[in-house]
Amino acid sequence: MRIEDVELGDELPEERPDVSLETVRRFVKAAEMDFPRFTDHEAARAEGLPGAVIPGIMSQGQLAAMIHRWAPGCSILSLDTIFRTSMIVGTPVVCRGAVTDIDDDGIVEIDVTIISETSGATGVLGTARVRLT
Amino acid sequence: MANVDIATIRDEWVGRVFQELDLVVDRERMLDWAISCGETDPRFVDPDHPDFQASTAFPTHINVARMLPDDFPQIGTGGIDGGKSIEWQRPMRAGDRLHAEVQIADIYAKTGRSGTMVFIVNRMTFTDADGAPVATVDWRMIRQG
Repeated sequence: MRIEDVELGDELPEERPDVSLETVRRFVKAAEMDFPRFTDHEAARAEGLPGAVIPGIMSQGQLAAMIHRWAPGCSILSLDTIFRTSMIVGTPVVCRGAVTDIDDDGIVEIDVTIISETSGATGVLGTARVRLT
Repeated sequence: MANVDIATIRDEWVGRVFQELDLVVDRERMLDWAISCGETDPRFVDPDHPDFQASTAFPTHINVARMLPDDFPQIGTGGIDGGKSIEWQRPMRAGDRLHAEVQIADIYAKTGRSGTMVFIVNRMTFTDADGAPVATVDWRMIRQG
């Protein structure tokens, strides 16, 4: 993806990341945050959560992966995310992004979101600054 | 919660480094992180790639023993993870020896329909063995005022 190929308002291809219990378990081990609220629905409910929740920083990583696939070889200079609503492990989510700014130095700004496909709630939203090749 | 309280605490605490950490970036952890987040770019999932590096959000998981200074005043109640931001200066690579400093970067209050929320921004700054900046992670903690 080159800067010349990008237009304001372009939407990134939607992605539906793997949020299965197995994958979340692998993530929390890598992230050294292997707590039952992320990997055990019953334990999470006992904490007052609707079920085991996807770690916010895993969602952040999924958004980065979406951008990297959209623009192979790009560099994400910054990624700022707000965790709004808990996303439940095993419940399908969709990642979306849209270009909101393009500057003369080859840097684009992308608004990103993760939405629950079940409830329609926005779990994560944020902004990335990306240098294209 | 009166604004003057926040202002006073802010003046006293913002910018003070209260914890430091040395670490070595782990190759397997980088790889598992990237794969479980769905990365497919060889830069993140192939350790033999000449540009193998940590995926974007990787440093956000690095925690220190204390999120706030020991003698930090009690502000509000509860604790919600309000989100994280990361800013990169250069790629983080397997085996990198890094130094991290933690400070309170900001404290502010917002009032809405559900009352006053206090935001405490915990900042972790990573530098390499030469002291050059690598990345900065901000973590917004939210407390009910």
